[in-house]
Amino acid sequence: MERLVGHLRSVDPEASESLRIVEYFDVLLKRGAGVDGLLRGAAVLSGTVAGAEVRGRVSRRGPEGGVPDDAPGARCSSRRSGEGWSVWLERGGDALADDEMIVERLALGVELLEARRRPAGGLETVIDAESPVAERTKVLARLHLRAASPVRIIATPADAPEFGAPTATVPTPYGLLRATLDTADPSAPGEAVSPAGPAGLGTRVRADRAPESWEAAVVALRLADGTDPVVDASYLGGLLLVARGHDPRSPHEDVVALARLDPRAAHILRVLVESESMRSAAAALGTHHSTVQARHEALTRALGYDPRTPLGKIRYVTAELLLRLTDPAYLPASDG
Amino acid sequence: MSAFPRPPFDAELEAVLAALADQIPPTLTADMIPQLRQAAPAQTSDEVLAEAGLTRRDVTVPGHLGDDITVSVIKRRDHRGPGPGIFHTHGGGMVSGDRFSALTQVIPWVVEHDAVMVTVEYRLAPEFPDPYPVEDCYAGLLWTAEHAAELGIDPERLLIAGASAGGGLAAGVTLMARDRRGPALAGQMLMYPMLDDRDRTVSSAQMEGVGLWDRASNTMGWTALLGERRRTDEVSVYAAPARATDLSGLPPAFIDCGSAEVFRDEDVAYASALWRDGVQAELHVWPGGFHGFDLAAPHTALAHAMTEARNSWVARLLGA
Repeated sequence: MERLVGHLRSVDPEASESLRIVEYFDVLLKRGAGVDGLLRGAAVLSGTVAGAEVRGRVSRRGPEGGVPDDAPGARCSSRRSGEGWSVWLERGGDALADDEMIVERLALGVELLEARRRPAGGLETVIDAESPVAERTKVLARLHLRAASPVRIIATPADAPEFGAPTATVPTPYGLLRATLDTADPSAPGEAVSPAGPAGLGTRVRADRAPESWEAAVVALRLADGTDPVVDASYLGGLLLVARGHDPRSPHEDVVALARLDPRAAHILRVLVESESMRSAAAALGTHHSTVQARHEALTRALGYDPRTPLGKIRYVTAELLLRLTDPAYLPASDG
Repeated sequence: MSAFPRPPFDAELEAVLAALADQIPPTLTADMIPQLRQAAPAQTSDEVLAEAGLTRRDVTVPGHLGDDITVSVIKRRDHRGPGPGIFHTHGGGMVSGDRFSALTQVIPWVVEHDAVMVTVEYRLAPEFPDPYPVEDCYAGLLWTAEHAAELGIDPERLLIAGASAGGGLAAGVTLMARDRRGPALAGQMLMYPMLDDRDRTVSSAQMEGVGLWDRASNTMGWTALLGERRRTDEVSVYAAPARATDLSGLPPAFIDCGSAEVFRDEDVAYASALWRDGVQAELHVWPGGFHGFDLAAPHTALAHAMTEARNSWVARLLGA
């Protein structure tokens, strides 16, 4: 069985290397790995020595995971640094294609670890539901906010640019994301924080309930796509409660049933749900009424409910929403 | 999903699993055996051996029923005998692998203690079901012991070592050597050994469709080896050493495994049974380790710790 497994870097170099790098570091951070674990990851993924200097202490790890015997080699150009830390790969000669991304993820990780160890934390404490309210309030005071001040949190991808407001990179069920504090008054539009790329806008809450806003922002970001790059969680209303009860790694069976449909069946289902009558559904699909009837019955069996009843419609729409919030690794392959 | 929650994977190991999710299916089925066999070239090439200062010589020796099988004798170029001997039975679920599989686990002992390794090309199931694999291995051990002087091996310091299916074979061969009054072994190194065909442990139920070598893969391996006899009274203790009720008189054992692998409970039970019968055993259960994590993720802190523990036991056994 071990023959199937090689070193990370030697297995199928063609396949989605960048996804593999992102996934590797995301899991490390989510699971609380330290600087040495990050360095071992960067070293094995790059095949060369990875190093970090954090508050004056230098650590280096080779691709086998050990501390290299030799003196530090040339640091590659894609070195990153922040307040009190820097990270690098040691590679004589030109950087390889993935070096940049590996160093970036390593930097993100070290930045996160450093942010976590700062006394009382920063924004990551404010949005952390696990941290005591007293501690969150203390940090809010440092940000010149009262417990009752209106705020919302904005979620963007971890590598999105900062936009001049308190920000932190934090692990979520959907990987590392950037949280940014928005204290702008919505009635004064000139002041509003406006992210450009994909973003999820959290609900507006009292500052001491910022974790709720962050949770909503993360959901909203997940729903953002090419058509709607910026999604405001407040538009979801009560659906937010449903999303909050959803585990992206353990989807409800309605979600699983939906994921199993091939693209054609999924399209027919959508038309069926959105059409006033079976006749108009048949017209929209350009097929015969009896064909649509048969499709409708087959879909009802596949889903375990009739998607055209009032309750069925709600179940379908809810499942559709949750499907977009589910980790694809935990979904079955579509039948298509 | 399993009805039993399992211990979480170690953070670094989980990262490896996540990154390799599209490469390694947790469940291996019988129709994947041909791919398994050619998935990777033999892990330990002559170049790797040469880099470690080692030489290799292949010898044809009598296997089960006197059929020809091959063993490789691997030792330091500057070997000065007699030194310790290591008889190696490779892993691969009884259905794959060859005598060069995962030699990286053993090479450090050859280098460090100037030992002579004999690694055996036993025949694989399902084409050669039980008792071929374990009898081929035993035959290889007999040949090694009979030719100890010529090989540069001190017969008092002969150790058997194997990982996974190879660990199960090593345990089975050790029982055979006791029962048939065969070669005296100084120790048995059982790296996450595959010992029990009965599939009745909690750890097996916890590992369905996750990690490496999950419950269904294990069932596939045992079925290839035993066919219809799996889980019946027709299985010998040499094929499935977990079935042995008397472990007295066996040499000292080293056993390790991960806390998140199918073999955890049978490996722990085997160590307990050895202690019960007055045999010395050292047991390590690595927290959050999946099956074979030292090979799949050798760069991780847990893999380093696992390797160090093995090397330390071998040094105490051979160096004393």
